Amino acid sequence: MSSDSVSTNSRYGMVIDLDKCTGCGACSVACMSENNIGVLPDETDKIRSITWLRVYQIDNGLPYPQTRIAFIPRPCQHCAGSKGHHTPCVSVCPATATDRDGQTGIVSQVPTRCIGCRYCVAACPYHARYFNWFDVSWPEGMDRPLNPFVSARMRGVVEKCTFCFHRYQQAKNKSFVNDSSEILEGDYQTACAEACPSRAIVFGDLNNINHEVFKLKKNPNVFRLLERLNTDTAVYYMSKKKWIRRKADNYLPNEKDGD
Amino acid sequence: MNWDRRAFIKFALGAVAGLHVSPLVPKLMDDVSIWTQNWSWVPVSEKGEVRSKTSINPRTLTGVKVKVLNSRVSGKRIIGLSGDSSFSLGNGGLLASDASVPQKFYYENMKVTTPVIRKKGVRGQVSADEALEVVIDRLRDLKQSGKSSRVAFFADYNCQSIVNELLVRFVSMYGTGHLIFMPSAERMLELVGESMFGRKSLGFDLENSQYIISFGTPFLEGYGSPVNMRKIFVDWKNVGATFVQIEPRASITASQADIWLPCKPGKEGVLAYAMANLIVQEGKASSFVKKAKDFDSFRKFLSENYDLDKVSYEADVPVDEIKKVARGFMESSKAVAVCGPGNSSDPGTLFNFMAVLTLNAVKGNLGEPGGLVVREKFSWENSDRANLDLSFGNGTISAKEKKEIRNNFNMYAFAKEVLEDRIKIDTIVLVDCNPVYSGPRTKMMEKLLKKVPFVVSVSECMDETSKLADVVLPKASFLECWGDAVTPYASARSFYSVHKPLIRESLQVKSTGDWIIGLFDGICDLEKDSSLSFRSVEEALSLRISNMGDDFEKSLKREIWLQKNASYDEFDIKTGTGKVNLLLDVLYKKYSRMSDVENLIDRDSRVVMMGIPSLRTGSVNVPMSPYQLKILDETTLAFKDRLIVEVNPSTVYELGFENGEMVRIISAVGEIRASLHFSNGVRPGVIFVPIGLGHTAFGLYLKNKGVNFFDVVDVYTDCVTGLPEWELTPVNIVKMGEVNDHV
Repeated sequence: MSSDSVSTNSRYGMVIDLDKCTGCGACSVACMSENNIGVLPDETDKIRSITWLRVYQIDNGLPYPQTRIAFIPRPCQHCAGSKGHHTPCVSVCPATATDRDGQTGIVSQVPTRCIGCRYCVAACPYHARYFNWFDVSWPEGMDRPLNPFVSARMRGVVEKCTFCFHRYQQAKNKSFVNDSSEILEGDYQTACAEACPSRAIVFGDLNNINHEVFKLKKNPNVFRLLERLNTDTAVYYMSKKKWIRRKADNYLPNEKDGD
Repeated sequence: MNWDRRAFIKFALGAVAGLHVSPLVPKLMDDVSIWTQNWSWVPVSEKGEVRSKTSINPRTLTGVKVKVLNSRVSGKRIIGLSGDSSFSLGNGGLLASDASVPQKFYYENMKVTTPVIRKKGVRGQVSADEALEVVIDRLRDLKQSGKSSRVAFFADYNCQSIVNELLVRFVSMYGTGHLIFMPSAERMLELVGESMFGRKSLGFDLENSQYIISFGTPFLEGYGSPVNMRKIFVDWKNVGATFVQIEPRASITASQADIWLPCKPGKEGVLAYAMANLIVQEGKASSFVKKAKDFDSFRKFLSENYDLDKVSYEADVPVDEIKKVARGFMESSKAVAVCGPGNSSDPGTLFNFMAVLTLNAVKGNLGEPGGLVVREKFSWENSDRANLDLSFGNGTISAKEKKEIRNNFNMYAFAKEVLEDRIKIDTIVLVDCNPVYSGPRTKMMEKLLKKVPFVVSVSECMDETSKLADVVLPKASFLECWGDAVTPYASARSFYSVHKPLIRESLQVKSTGDWIIGLFDGICDLEKDSSLSFRSVEEALSLRISNMGDDFEKSLKREIWLQKNASYDEFDIKTGTGKVNLLLDVLYKKYSRMSDVENLIDRDSRVVMMGIPSLRTGSVNVPMSPYQLKILDETTLAFKDRLIVEVNPSTVYELGFENGEMVRIISAVGEIRASLHFSNGVRPGVIFVPIGLGHTAFGLYLKNKGVNFFDVVDVYTDCVTGLPEWELTPVNIVKMGEVNDHV
């Protein structure tokens, strides 16, 4: 794991404890509400449905009554790329509509720059990017609760989780007003981390020794999704259950399980 | 100029060079790209000052911070909710249904913002005063003509709430015996607690327990205060408590449990008695049960009927597993067994409640930390709900107005009697409940509302029930009115909290309590003595808080929530004999009856149907939001809004079904259509159907998404309590000849 060292730059990320996650979906809905994600009349069409943070259900594959289920919340992994690899989506974007901020480690998405080529969607190994096939309509009063700090997107552009970057900007303003050089852990929290009733999602600066995620990411049960691709993601997962680690890390049955 | 070949080439080269130099092309492309991204129907949300205000969602008991944005042109509006970490229940998170409150609040096809009256089949909007007048006229006419008993009131059972108190007082003053509550596990626990221990307000001290056995209780799918339950669940993990789940499906709760005992459906209570039997036979029964007058008969009955080998076969759980759990439970100093509500959004069964409370009594954890405790009462609570001298000082009702109130908890038996003309009803007032969707026998409830000449619904949403009503009185959301939130089901600690108005979107909506006070005012001139001493819910709450010895204004400033600690004083048994009543007579009756139910279920070609509760689909009382629909995966609601039901492959292989097969699920009362999803996590012989889908109301984004589980659920009346039960429904599965991939 290349993010273990302490750096002067921040790298915001998450540690998600899958043993605490109960799949209630609060994180996902809080994300939608915060980021003005649209609703289509038919949300069962998952190719067109947009869910920045999708919660996947997995099971251990054993027959009754050994079966157990678990959940994997999957936001954008905010890849840094390591060992000569790049952030997959950033390196393919012809319009610089997505970029990785070196100061925060956050992979941005600028809808107004996006030309809708969808190279990034194809490049993302985590299926974290969504394309607006249609204009979302906001009829029947549903535009009233829109968050003014996030723009609603139009058709023909890609969108994805931004780690609630507008909240980072607000926290930055707050620290500036308070004459502080540091953004406090509590001042910048994503909507999903704030919403989780089990406190399974912990968000913070992975490089800041005072932040909880700095300690949590060193837990021996921590892993990341598709680590072999050297995407160096900012989202860590944690589980004491071996079957969850194996399944989430996408190891094949004949491979070693990484323990 | 001679237009020859050379001239043409010069012109072409010049044009190419010109286009490269000219800003026209990039400018046009820029304009086109801007134009394509500036559709007028992409909304731009106006900015403004954001203030965060605390409140509580009384439906979910989540403490929330409400973000209210005050903008120059569009005024005040709610833009989001987040959890309140200073709130005593939970640790600062919220639920999907809390997070989507703003969406539901502004979704015009969901919320009722103006009273609606139906005349000659046509619905029209009227003012709040006009609508109230119509209802008052109707009720007054019936009362004056001596037909008060022809009015029935349907309501949620929320016994400590201010609405419940006002309603009970109003119904008493009005003089009808038909106050009918929606079935609830709380009522079942009250009944069994009172019969066994003479105590009503029982609670499971989950927060301090080290060994917890859940007999089918869906802890993580929406139990009590779900955010608080998650806090407790994480605490169990941190302190290393042992959590045992007994149920037939690998649910979220079962998967998170330390030990999962997968039993046959409906056998949770049998296992509880088997564990009690083991403890009694090993001579470790507590003094509570040893002192019981029929202890010897009880011991004999247990050994004869709940022998471990016999129960192991009956419930399909290995003897060793039962022994291991029973001994772990017995040896732990802080252990509790928990029951109700059921997985089919049912209140649970009397048999389960009796078995589980007996197991606790045998263990002797009554009044112990981490055991079964009696909740402390608030000063305004009265032990006898039929006695209406409650907290309101001047508002006390005189003796002559104390009509006998029949707190009927079986609306299905009542509906049947009305439909069969054994009871004559002219008017039904539904207070914040939706029986046409949220309970068994939905078609029968629909028939009932169509038969009764005048139906009034007090509701926040234009739901299935309100669509059938003649008058819809719009209930204000908790964001825009005064109200309270009370102790969750079986909590060890009493809890009380108040929410206040944060925003005013419509002048025509009122809190349920204010509508009832309006009815009071319109009708109480007939009964001079019964007028209330307050004019609004705010004043009523102020009186109630004062009666609790607190200052209302000061309480509100500190964002009121009041909570009393779990009571670990001696557990006084208050039955007639002063000893635990082991309910042997009831057990004899129930034991013989269980066999009948099993016979019905084990019949050839039948499988048993149960529900899948989920916080994603929300509870039956809180309709889901469009956002919640987005988080359902393909194993719940598949492409084109197809309902997916879970079934073990072995259940249907023999019948020749395939994964994704469209089937009709037929019960004695109805049928639904769904796709089969083969899941290893469910017990063979049982079909599991998601709860909370299939609304036929709420517009384009929510209407007809899946099918309502309750359309096919049958209900039966418990022969002892008279309460409705519907944990299991025997069904037939019939092929439709169509197979669709859904995953």
